[in-house]
Amino acid sequence: MLEATIGRPNGRAGGINRLVVLSAVLATALVVGLLVGLKLWSSPGDPGSFPSSVQIEQQYGVRFSRIAVVGDGGLITLTYVVLDSEKATRFQSDVGHPPELRSEARDGGTKRVSVMKQGHSLRAGQTYYLVYQNTKGALRHGERATIQLGDLALRHAPVL
Amino acid sequence: MKRLTIQRALALTAAALLVATPVLVRTQASAAAEMSEGVLCDTDPNQTFSLTARDGYISTPDGNSIYMWSYSNSKRGFQLPGPTLCVESGRQVTVILHNSLPEATSIVFPGQQGVKANGNPAQPQFDSGGSLTSLVQTAAATDGSVTYTFTAGSPGSYLYETGTDVDKQLQMGLYGALVVRPAGHPNQVNDRADSAFANGKEYVYLLSEVDPDVHLAVERNQPVDVNASKSRYFMINGRSMPDTLAPNNAPWLPGQPYGALVHIKPYDAVTNPLPATIHYLNAGSVNYPFHPHGSDERVINRDGHALQGGSGEDLSYLKYDLDVGPGQTLDVLMDWRDVEHWNATTNPIPTQLPAITDQLLVGSDTWFSESGYLGTKNAVPSNLTQNNECGEYYHIAHSHALEQATNYGAAFGGMMTVFRIDPPAGCVSQ
Ligand SMILES: [Cu+2]
Repeated sequence: MLEATIGRPNGRAGGINRLVVLSAVLATALVVGLLVGLKLWSSPGDPGSFPSSVQIEQQYGVRFSRIAVVGDGGLITLTYVVLDSEKATRFQSDVGHPPELRSEARDGGTKRVSVMKQGHSLRAGQTYYLVYQNTKGALRHGERATIQLGDLALRHAPVL
Repeated sequence: MKRLTIQRALALTAAALLVATPVLVRTQASAAAEMSEGVLCDTDPNQTFSLTARDGYISTPDGNSIYMWSYSNSKRGFQLPGPTLCVESGRQVTVILHNSLPEATSIVFPGQQGVKANGNPAQPQFDSGGSLTSLVQTAAATDGSVTYTFTAGSPGSYLYETGTDVDKQLQMGLYGALVVRPAGHPNQVNDRADSAFANGKEYVYLLSEVDPDVHLAVERNQPVDVNASKSRYFMINGRSMPDTLAPNNAPWLPGQPYGALVHIKPYDAVTNPLPATIHYLNAGSVNYPFHPHGSDERVINRDGHALQGGSGEDLSYLKYDLDVGPGQTLDVLMDWRDVEHWNATTNPIPTQLPAITDQLLVGSDTWFSESGYLGTKNAVPSNLTQNNECGEYYHIAHSHALEQATNYGAAFGGMMTVFRIDPPAGCVSQ
């Protein structure tokens, strides 16, 4: 698509097209560069970056961003960024089917979620959270976990 | 100064006027080891601290990043709030303030005696036109410094905070906690033997608020209208729920090192006779009606002074709603008693829906630990927040002003945390 447009530089309209496309390319490059830069910049100290799943993002409208053992070992926070307000609102309202957190190192997991309602509709771009009971110490600091959401799984998420 | 509330002014004045009897000193026990919860003290054998006023960023649970000013240990990076300084009553304390901020700043130490700045009595500063510029001598903008000395006042907790352009600089984050311990009794809140607390079970709850618009204006070097300020984030120790549950020095909160989880075991006359202590300090501009669910707390100190009569009679009192006014501090003792006498086999206390009003938090949502303490579990409806995991119990503790229990309006959040009570034998899953 990009190639086709650039390959037709005839006349005024073509020139504008080219300008638009070039701007778009430059803008994209800038955004990608920024994202890569941010990722590189934020990676020192992180025990690995957080994985992502296009399928989960498309189906549930959320991007998981952190799993942390809190409450002196007794609780877990799962944070996520809202990408699609409508889907995410459905996701957080479905209190009967919370994501399950499973240790990849041992048998153990939890779906005992303390549903933390965050208002009626979730705003895109904003971070929200769930608090879990860390059932029988299911997850431990420093290991990796799988987030299971229906049929979809997000693997190798670092547990802070 | 204009929005410096009457309450705060009164509190500061009262704290400054009260003078405690100096007591003999003894070298304090070594600094508390780093731990996942509980107060993290900055200590020094000579009670000399070097603080730097610097800028940095905090993160809020909703993904916001906020520009702040704060005091930090000069050897460490930015942190909010400023380091918790733990000192011994009656001994001299030296605080060297370095300023890397773009404007003059200072520290006032309400409740401390004989405060000096560079060896001169600490006193208000005026410009050539006679207008008040600071409550105390300042460290000049960019690279100034000033050395404050004082004698640590009566045992208890105190704020230290900016005395310069107070409305703005306090909002920006220039505050911290000062814990004064009784000489020779580091495990007592005050000089009274009945103020003893369990080893390691000491907590600071420094309450404050943030209006992100003010912070953005300061970051962009734009005019600040503190009169139009509306706070959106409410914090305990520089964190909002659920970050309050995270351990001290959580790696994802590099500028917010202090957690706010109370973690205790039930009272037992033999195995756990002593309560925990919580120091509540209000560095904000409004009242924070803070209250833990589940049990009252015993208020034993106000503004660093033991609640006792002229002949030493105990004037402490049990309180459910701890109203901490701007500039005020309260020191409390808290324990948790198994009044229902749980026993796994003979008295397993089944789940009952909570009927008491304070379990209802926002609308029909409620926070409930799923069972009576250590009980068996019945099915519970989905609007309950459930936490029981290895038999431990969680009480929510939060500001009763519900807008203060949100992150920019989103509930739950803000000035909220939990108190964790483990089974008497500990948490078996850990
Ligand atoms: Cu409440």
